[in-house]
Amino acid sequence: MQRRDALRLLGKASVFSVLSTDWLAAKLGAEVAQKAPGALQTLTPAQNDIVVAMSEVIIPATDTPGGKGARVNEFIDLILTEWATDDEKAVFLEGLAEADRRTNELFGRGFAAASPKEQAAIVQGFDDDLAALRNEKIREWIPLWEVPKMAFFEQMRTLTLTGYYTSTIGQEQELKVEIIPGTFNGCALEGPEVKQ
Amino acid sequence: MNSVKKPESYDAIIIGSGMTGGWAAKELTEKGLKVLVLEAGRPIVPEQDYVEHVPVSDMKFRGLADRKERLDTQPIQRMCYACDEWAQKFFINDLENPYTTDPGRPFAWIRGRQVGGKSIMWARQSYRWSDLDFEANARDGYGSDWPIRYADIAPWYDYVEDFAGITGHTEGLSQLPDGHFLPPMEMNCAETAVKEAVARRFGRERVMTVGRAAILTQTHNGRAACHYCGPCHRGCITRSYFSSVNATLPAAEKTGRMTLRPYSVVHSLIFDAHARRVTGVRVIDGQTREALEFQGRILFLCASTLESTRILLNSATPEFSSGLANSSGQLGKNLMDHIMGGGADGEIPGFMDRMQFGNRPNGIYVPRFKNVTKQEKNFLRGYAYQGGADRASWLRGVEESGFGVSLKNSLRKHGPWRLRFYGFGECLPRPENFVEIDKDRVDAWGIPVLKIHCAFSDNEKALFEDMVIEATDMLAASGARDIRPIRENNPPGLTIHEMGTARMGGDPKNSVLNPHNQAHDVKNLFLTDGACMVSSSCVNPSLTFMAITARACDYAVSQMKKGEL
Repeated sequence: MQRRDALRLLGKASVFSVLSTDWLAAKLGAEVAQKAPGALQTLTPAQNDIVVAMSEVIIPATDTPGGKGARVNEFIDLILTEWATDDEKAVFLEGLAEADRRTNELFGRGFAAASPKEQAAIVQGFDDDLAALRNEKIREWIPLWEVPKMAFFEQMRTLTLTGYYTSTIGQEQELKVEIIPGTFNGCALEGPEVKQ
Repeated sequence: MNSVKKPESYDAIIIGSGMTGGWAAKELTEKGLKVLVLEAGRPIVPEQDYVEHVPVSDMKFRGLADRKERLDTQPIQRMCYACDEWAQKFFINDLENPYTTDPGRPFAWIRGRQVGGKSIMWARQSYRWSDLDFEANARDGYGSDWPIRYADIAPWYDYVEDFAGITGHTEGLSQLPDGHFLPPMEMNCAETAVKEAVARRFGRERVMTVGRAAILTQTHNGRAACHYCGPCHRGCITRSYFSSVNATLPAAEKTGRMTLRPYSVVHSLIFDAHARRVTGVRVIDGQTREALEFQGRILFLCASTLESTRILLNSATPEFSSGLANSSGQLGKNLMDHIMGGGADGEIPGFMDRMQFGNRPNGIYVPRFKNVTKQEKNFLRGYAYQGGADRASWLRGVEESGFGVSLKNSLRKHGPWRLRFYGFGECLPRPENFVEIDKDRVDAWGIPVLKIHCAFSDNEKALFEDMVIEATDMLAASGARDIRPIRENNPPGLTIHEMGTARMGGDPKNSVLNPHNQAHDVKNLFLTDGACMVSSSCVNPSLTFMAITARACDYAVSQMKKGEL
C-alpha cells in the first residue's frame, strides 16, 4: 500500500476520525509543492554533468529509474550548498576534477562524455580504492551525530545511495516502502515483491 | 491599597505538562481540584504539529537534517537519536536554554519544552522496578535508603498501567515484576531463535522477553491500536502510544477543572516564611517576557528532574539560603543517569525467506541477570539489555563497496538478520555528581542556569565492560556470526534517564522529600518527577515516575480533605 492509499484509508476508518481532511490535503499538497526542480546552486553545468553521469553508474536504471531519474544530482547540490562544510565541499569538487583527469588520461575525454563502459572503468578504480581503504580502517565508534571524514568517492557513493533510496522513486518504486502498514508480522514470507 | 491586580488563585498549581505533570493534572482534577498547569513551552495541537507520516522524500534534507542550523541552535539536542529532521522541533533551542559543566566532563541535557514535554519523544519502554532496586542502597550503602518498597507502589503501577495501556509478556521474574499487560507484540524470527538459544544455555537466569512498552496493541480507553508506522517520537495522530498530550491531559481537560497555560516559564516559587507554605509561583511569560504571579493552595513540581531542582535552587530565601526546602543540604546532590551503549551485535543465520512486515516501535529486553542472586566481585548492581533483530536495509550499502546493477539488485532485497544487545546500567547515587546555580549565566528569560557536575564512576565503567562481554557471549551461544562489540562513549545525560537531586527519605535531616513526595520543610510543596529518585536501578524509570505521581496526588488530596494541607 502506498502512502496516499494508506492515508485515504486512514481517513475513512472511524478510529481515525481525529484526522481532518484539511490536514490530509495540506500534507499531500506540501508533497506536490516540493516536486519542482530547483536551479543548481553550487555545481557548475560541467560538474553537474559528471555528478549526473556518475550517479547513474552507481545506481543505473533497470526496471526502475536510476540515479539520474531520481535526480540525485539535485540532492547532492543541496547538500554541497547548505549542509557540507567548506572542507567537505572542497574534497568533493576536487574529486569531480580528478574523475575528469583520470578519464582524460585513459580515454581522451571528460567523464561525462565518456561511454558507459569507460565510465564504469573509472568508477571501478575509485571503488577499488575505497574497498582498500575500508579494509585498512579499524572500525571505531563514531557518534551518530558526527559526520565521518570521507574521501571523494565515499562521499559520492554515500550521497548517491542516500539521494536515491530516500527519493520518491527510491521509496515507492524501488523499495516499495509502506508508510502505514497497519499491522506487524515478525516472520512474514518474503513475497516476490520484496519490501523493506 | 494599590491597584496591582490580584493574582489568579487555584487549588493546585502544577509546574510542567509532561510525563508527570500530565498525571498530576489528571489525578488532581479528577479528584475535584481546580488546577493550573504551567508549561514553559508552546502549545501542541496533534493535527497540526505531529509529523509521523511524512515520507523521507518530502523532507528537505532527506532525513539528514539541517546540519548547520543544528550545530548552531541544537548542538546538544542533536545528540539524541529522536531529535531527527522530523522531530527536532520537539527539542529545545540550546542557545536559549544554556547550562554549564566542568571542563572535560560533558553532560548531555536533552529537553523538550512544549505541552507534553519529553513524553512526546520518549522511547515508551515501561517496566516496573522491584525490591532489588528499592533495597539497593540499603544493601550496599551507597546513597540513602528508599522510604518505600515495591509493596507501596505496586497498586499504583496497576493503576497507571490500566490507564496508559502497556503491552508486554508476563515472565514471572522477581527482578522485573509483571504488570497489567495488553497483548504482547510479536518477536521476529531471529529474535525467537535467539530467545530459545539463550534459554537453552542460561535457563531462567537470563530471559529474553519482548519489550514492555506504552503502546496499544488493542483499542484501549478510547485510543486506537498501533498501526505500526514506526517512529512514535514524531507524534501519533491515533494516540496509540502514551504521552500526556495523547492521554492524561485530555482526561484532565474533560473534567473542566484544568487551566493549561503554555509559554509560562517558571522563575521561582514564593515562600511565606511565617505560614511555612509556598503561596504561589513567579512566572515570566515566554512570549511577552511579562513577570506574572499565580497563587495556589498546593504546588506540584513536575518540570523534569533538573528543571524542578533548578526552580527550588532559584527559590532560595534568607532562611533557605541554599535553595527552598533544602534544610537537609541534599538538594542538587546525587545526580544519576543510566550508562548506556555497551553490548554487541551479530548476524543470525537463516530465515532468509522471511521478513518483518510493519515497523514495530518496540524491541526485546533482557532483564538484569547480574547481582540478582549472587554478588559479582568487580561491580555493584547491574544492567539490562534492550535491542532487537532486523534484516539490514539499503543503508548497509553505504558501509560496503560496489556499484551498478549488482549493487542495486542486492540492495533491493533485505540483508541478513542481525540482532543487537544494547546495555543500560545502573548508576550509583554519589554526592560528587551534583548541580548548583551558575551565578554567571542566565537563560533567554533572565533566569539563572544550572552548573552540572557529573561523571560516571569506576563502578559504571565496570558494568559497561561486562555488558560487552556478556552480550558477545549470548550471541555466540545463539550461533551468531560476525559478532561485533558495541562500545559507545556516550556522555552522562544522553540516556535521558536523569534522576535524583531532591531525594525522598524518611529522615528530614538527609532527604528533601518525605515518603509521599511532600517536601519535609514545606508541607504544601510536592515534587514527583525524576528528581525524587533515591537510586537509579537499571530499569527505565518513566513508569515509576507515573506511579509515584499518582500516589502522591492521592496522598495530597486526602491530606487536604483532612484539613492537614
